[in-house]
This record gives sequence, structure tokens and C-alpha cells, in this order.
Amino acid sequence: MLDVKDIDVYYGHAKVLHDVSLNVNQGEMAFVIGRNGAGKTTLLKTICGVRAPAKGSITYENQTISGMPAEKVARKGIRMVAQDKRVFGSLTVRGNIELAAYACGEKADTAVDKVTSIYPRLKELMHLRAGSLSGGQREILLIGRALVGNPRLLLIDEPTEGLAAIVIDDIFKILCQMKSQLSAVIVEQNLSIVSKLADRVFLMKEGKVERTISERAEIENTRDLERYL
Amino acid sequence: MSLPIEITKEAPAAPALKAGLLTLGKDRTWLEMVVMTLAFLALWPVLGQHRVTDFIIFCILVLSFDLLYGYMGRLSFGHILYYGTGGYICSVFIAYITPNPLLGMAAGIFVAMVVAMLVGLIVSRADGAPFSLTNLAFNQIGLFCALSAFADWTKGDNGLPSTNMQPVLFLDFLEKPVNFWFSLFWLLVVFYLLKRLTRSPFGVLIRSIKEDESRVRFVGYSTFYYKWLTYVISCTLASLAGVLITLNYTFISPHAMDPNANLDIIFASLLGGAGNLYGAVVGGILFQLIKNYLPIWVSDWEAFLGIALLILVFNFRKGLTGFVMERWAARGQSAMQPEGGEAI
Repeated sequence: MLDVKDIDVYYGHAKVLHDVSLNVNQGEMAFVIGRNGAGKTTLLKTICGVRAPAKGSITYENQTISGMPAEKVARKGIRMVAQDKRVFGSLTVRGNIELAAYACGEKADTAVDKVTSIYPRLKELMHLRAGSLSGGQREILLIGRALVGNPRLLLIDEPTEGLAAIVIDDIFKILCQMKSQLSAVIVEQNLSIVSKLADRVFLMKEGKVERTISERAEIENTRDLERYL
Repeated sequence: MSLPIEITKEAPAAPALKAGLLTLGKDRTWLEMVVMTLAFLALWPVLGQHRVTDFIIFCILVLSFDLLYGYMGRLSFGHILYYGTGGYICSVFIAYITPNPLLGMAAGIFVAMVVAMLVGLIVSRADGAPFSLTNLAFNQIGLFCALSAFADWTKGDNGLPSTNMQPVLFLDFLEKPVNFWFSLFWLLVVFYLLKRLTRSPFGVLIRSIKEDESRVRFVGYSTFYYKWLTYVISCTLASLAGVLITLNYTFISPHAMDPNANLDIIFASLLGGAGNLYGAVVGGILFQLIKNYLPIWVSDWEAFLGIALLILVFNFRKGLTGFVMERWAARGQSAMQPEGGEAI
């Protein structure tokens, strides 16, 4: 489904990704783990079109998407949920969902139903300004908004970072609901979530994919994975 | 599965947003238009009809700028280019081609729109300082055209009269009350259209672009198209103001395209409150009052403007209307809430 092959990415003259390759199959939930500065976020940004690779190719459903603008990548069914949990703060929660619905021609009510089906408590928050939500609520709204318009691949950057345990539990349940229904590449440091949900894990270090793990037993061996954090 | 709800004392969403994007809730636009008409009629005997007409036209110009700056967050230092282009083309049309002022008006708006469409292709690719300065550069080019390049047509520094205009039906623009009512009619039209536009999904989208353009692209929108379209609409409305000033004065001079005049629009927008149509009208009126009457009592009145701008930027970020509306909302909220506030 997604095939990233030997990409190099630069920030100015600094090379931050070196010959990175990964592939994700239909319905697979892949996790990327690594220390700060390993290039995880840059990898997601490159896949979703924010950055263009200097070398290599990104293919999605047999179409080359490397260097394509972010809006075109989004229209192809790839949605990005960024790390900073920034929603459109001046719009209501419903407004945020409707904005995504218009972009893909989905009916607003259908989109709202879809989002509230993954997290029913959002119904109570629909008329509040999104800017007034807590970090966890924002993350759930962002994941929900990314699901509008039937995407086929989600890119989620550190969904549980900085959140309280109870909210992490909610996000874990949402990810469980999504599993097998669509594909995802998730950057995550919480190894408990990784070990339970991952079909494949890419371990990144200093801008390279050091190791790829797809064996269940290896994925569940969090002590081994910890060496990369 | 539960999520701690932490919102307790947050301000509620604006009514239009509260009702979602497509519903407008209680629409008071007509009432607001009646109030606006009465306000300008009340100013007529106090300030004189000719001056009030100037105020009305300036309010149209500030409204057009507010769409670009207040709603989409693009600060243009060259907005006056379109005001001048509309005015000059209208005047040239009346002076050399036909004395029909309505045809001149249509030509002025059309040409300015075409210029905005072409310039917009370039400037819409930029934001921040490059957007402001690119617009300023085009403004300078426009001024050069009016002063020198097309001086045979525009009469350069002397300006171009259009006193040969003929009445069309009941519209004789040499009669000053006609200009007043005609300008007021267009102010109400512009206000109504902008209110509809800014509350539509399109309006929500351009506000979202102001807030975070890259996230709008993540959602799947080609933001360039929306930025370009907003630029064209805004500049075309500015050209309407330029045309109306030409009809009001039967004259246009390079002053109408002077880049310094951009500061007047920016100041008026900040004074009233950017991103707020009422703010644009209130700011337009207040700025004209300051500009017309303050010099009578204060010789260095521009210094007053500078100090007022500093106060606005640091203490009244949402302008006077924003400040009043916030106070009003806070008052309403405290009246509705029991002591200590109510957790949602």
C-alpha cells in the first residue's frame, strides 16, 4: 500500500533522513519508534507532502506521491495527525469536523456521526470552541477529523505524548477500533501501546531505519525495543 | 470510557459558529443595515452631506480590506492600488470614451478585478512580510503608471476631471445627494455580501487559513485557490470605493493611489477591530472623524495617530468593537452564571 524507498531528506544543508525505506500493507498498523531527533516526525512529514525527499521515492497504491503537495496527498486518502495537537481554535468542535467534511464532499452530519461513533463523549463538546478543549480532547478530535472522508492511511505523530493516563487509555481504545479497518503509520514512544497494536515496528536511529520487526514475539519484547528510546 | 471534561469558564462560541457552519442562527443583518443607514443619516446634518459621503466610501474601502486582513490574515501595504485603479479607469472612461457614469463604473471595477486576478497569482503565493511588500511594490508600479507612464491619459500630477459625465435615468452624479444615496446603497450591498460570505463555509475556510494554513492543507484544501479568490474579491470591492469617490468628486488624482494612504486603511481597520465587519464600519467613521476634525485643534495630529496606534496594538488587540463586544459578552455571562461559574 505504502512503499517508501531509499529517501534522503534535508533541512537546509543538514541531512536528516538517510536512505530510509519502509513499507506498510493494507490494514496494517505500523509503528515508528526512536529517540528524539531520530527523524520520525520528518519521515511522516515527508510522506504527507510537507517536505520533499531529495532522493528516493514514495509510492502509495502504485502511484508516486513523493514531492506532491500536502493537499493532493490528503485527497488521495492519506491523513496526517500532527504532534502539536493544534486544532482550529476559533471554530467549534463541530466546525472543525465540518471543515474536513467539505474538503472531501462528505455530508456534515455523516462526518459528525462518524467522529462521535469512535468517541461518543464528543457529542457533548460539539458546540464548544475547539480552542477551549484539553490536550486529550484535541487529540481525539484530530484523529476523528482525520477519519472524515474515508481515508485509507493515517499518519499519527505521538498521539499520547504529554497526556494523562486516563486519556491515553481512551486513545488506545480508539486505535483499537481503527485497527484492521484502515492502515496507519504511528510514531509512538509508549511501548505498551506499541506492543499491543503493532503489526510492524520500524526502529529509527540518527535518521536511519536500523531495524524492522514484524514477528509478534519480538514486538512484544518491550525490553528490546526500549534500547531504541 | 471517560474523558475528564475540563472546560468550566470558557467563553461560549459565537452564535453563528454555535449553530454550525451552514446555519446562521438569528439573522439580524437587515436590522444592522437599517441602523447603519440611520447612523449615516444622523451624521448628515452634523458633518454635511458631502463629507458623510466620503465617510461611507471610506467604510467600503475598509470593509474590503478587512476581508483580506481581518479574516484571512494577509496584511497588504498595497490595497489602495485597486481603489486608485477603479477610480482612474472610471474617470478615463468617462473623460475619453463615454460620458455614461455607469459604464465608467463597470469598466473601473472590471479592469481593477482583472488586475487583481493577475497580481493575485503572484502575491497569493506569499504571506507575512513578503505579501505586504509585494503588494507595496505593485502599488508603486500603479502610482508610476498614473503619474508618468500613462500621463497623456491621466494628466499626471494635475489629475483627471470627469465633469462631462451625463445623467443616467434618475442618477445625476453631479447632484451631491445622489452620490450620498448611491454610495450608501453600495455600502449596504457590500456589508450584506461580506456578512454572507464570512459566515459561509468559504468564510470559515479563510479564517482557518489565517489560523493555520498548513493544517488546512492537511485537511485537503488547495489554499492557494482560496487565497487568490479572497484577494480578488477584496480588491474588486476596493475598486468599487475608488469608482464611487471618482463619481463623488468628478475628479481623480495620483493621491488616490498614494501608498501612504494604505496606512489610513490599516489604522481604521485596527481602530474598529480587524476581522469584524462592524469594526470596519466603526473604524472607518472614527478614523475619518479623527482625520477631518483633530487637525482643527491639534497641529501635530499625526503624532496622536501614532500614539493611538500603539495603544491599540498593545491594549486593544480586537479594536474598539472587539473590546466592547467582549465586555458585553462577559457581562452577559456573569449575569447568567451562578457565583463561581458552572462546570460543564
